[in-house]
Amino acid sequence: MSDITGEFVAMLARTWHRFTLPAGNAESLADLLSPMDEAGEAVADAISFDEEPSDFDLALEELAPPRGKS
Amino acid sequence: MSGSIAEFDLCGIADRIRTREITSEDVVRTAIHRAEQLQPTLNAFIQLEAEDALEAARSIDARIATGEPVGPLAGVPLAHKDMYYREGKVTTCGSKIRADFVADRTSTALARLEEAGAIYLGGLNMSEFAVGPIGNNVHYGDCHNPWNPEHAPGGSSSGSGASVAARIVYGALGSDTGGSIRIPAAMSGVVGFKPTQNRVSRYGLMPLSFSFDCGGPLTRTVRDAARIMDVIAGHDPKDPTTSRRPIDAYEDACGASVTDLRIGIPTRYFFDDLDPDVAVALEVAQEVFRDRGVALVPVDVPDHDHINLIWAAALSAEAATIHRKWLRERPGDYGPMVRRRIEFGLYQPATRYLEAMTLREKYLREYVATAFADCDVLLTPTMPVPAPRLADVDVSDGKGMTELVIAVSRNTRPISYLGLPALSVPCGFTAANLPAAFQLIGRPFAEAQLCTLGHAFQQATDWHARVPPIARNL
Repeated sequence: MSDITGEFVAMLARTWHRFTLPAGNAESLADLLSPMDEAGEAVADAISFDEEPSDFDLALEELAPPRGKS
Repeated sequence: MSGSIAEFDLCGIADRIRTREITSEDVVRTAIHRAEQLQPTLNAFIQLEAEDALEAARSIDARIATGEPVGPLAGVPLAHKDMYYREGKVTTCGSKIRADFVADRTSTALARLEEAGAIYLGGLNMSEFAVGPIGNNVHYGDCHNPWNPEHAPGGSSSGSGASVAARIVYGALGSDTGGSIRIPAAMSGVVGFKPTQNRVSRYGLMPLSFSFDCGGPLTRTVRDAARIMDVIAGHDPKDPTTSRRPIDAYEDACGASVTDLRIGIPTRYFFDDLDPDVAVALEVAQEVFRDRGVALVPVDVPDHDHINLIWAAALSAEAATIHRKWLRERPGDYGPMVRRRIEFGLYQPATRYLEAMTLREKYLREYVATAFADCDVLLTPTMPVPAPRLADVDVSDGKGMTELVIAVSRNTRPISYLGLPALSVPCGFTAANLPAAFQLIGRPFAEAQLCTLGHAFQQATDWHARVPPIARNL
């Protein structure tokens, strides 16, 4: 389970972005962040950095159907 | 006269203007009349530029009268999501923050449309800063669904879907970062075309996300969308991210044979939790393709739940980067839900963002190898549910709104992450007379295949020809 809390988000807002979040906003932002944090943890091991750098644009070009088929 | 002019589709009206059967001025006057008549009900326009449009129409008519060659969209009134810049003109992006923003450049997409002879009728309502799939806007008022104004039109290109469905304009550009072309197209009963990532220039388009934004058309027919794509797609030196791959002839592809194409029907995820009426419409649509000689095959697809979440993490980080200054200095000038949906990107760790972007190539390759192993194109519902009632969409309710956003866009978001082209096509109505739609998803740069199949479907059905009751007899 993610440990992201409203208090943590409020601290990040003050420290990194220099503004103060209302308490309710911080809590709801924490609720939004938690599932993303968990998903990020779940997929992080899928990355093999030995295969870097990746090139998404090149992959798009390579995966296009042969011309004439489209 | 108003009705008959409005009933032609984009290709039909363009042909009649070019052959001088109808003048562009009459067509534009009709569009202005309909826009003004329907504005109190639909609120589709943020700004209507009637006089400039009429002047441009008269100019086109004069050129045609002298035999001067004109482009494929000559004299056709279009309007666009109010985030495509025009030099010297206000472009609001549906926001209070940019209510007076005067653009210093013209977007390449609009410049290409103008070069093709299209008439700019105005800037269309949209979700604030293109955030949100419902189509509500606290600054300019909600846009309404032409099929039932109590229902949402879909967003974020809300005015684009509503104005095309109501036969005000013959086409409109939208932008799609997670479904913002396809969702309003599906909710409003029109065609919506999200191209492959980097197929259409984003120069002069207010960004929401550097990595996921795509510009594309909403139209009444697939052929209309193909004609606009023929004009706007292709490399743009002003947008170095655009592909240098030559474009296909999309409108020509509308007449190609479908019998050698195979449609894959995903066996999981996309058809989960379908509204019963939407499910019936999708079943019937599959039968239409079978009757046209298209092979339909079940296909396995990779897991999408994680894709959706890491897409959201990456998108929010990019959006927050763009909006950080305004979030600090003008937080009260955002609608509450829009601010929240952008703001959480401020708190994503850089490593999480980079993981999401690094995995994009890997997931794309896996997806194409798996889902497209035995087919050319996937067919899924564009949305699992029909358009919700606007009264049920409480923009101040964070949790409920988040759940609704997830439900509405669950079938479109993963395709944006993967950068694939997708075409939403209307395919029926629910018992409450709200549109249902499927999306065809292709391999990268397979837009022409989507045009071929989507057009073939519309040749066999008339869903796209149905007019919302409020748009009749104006």
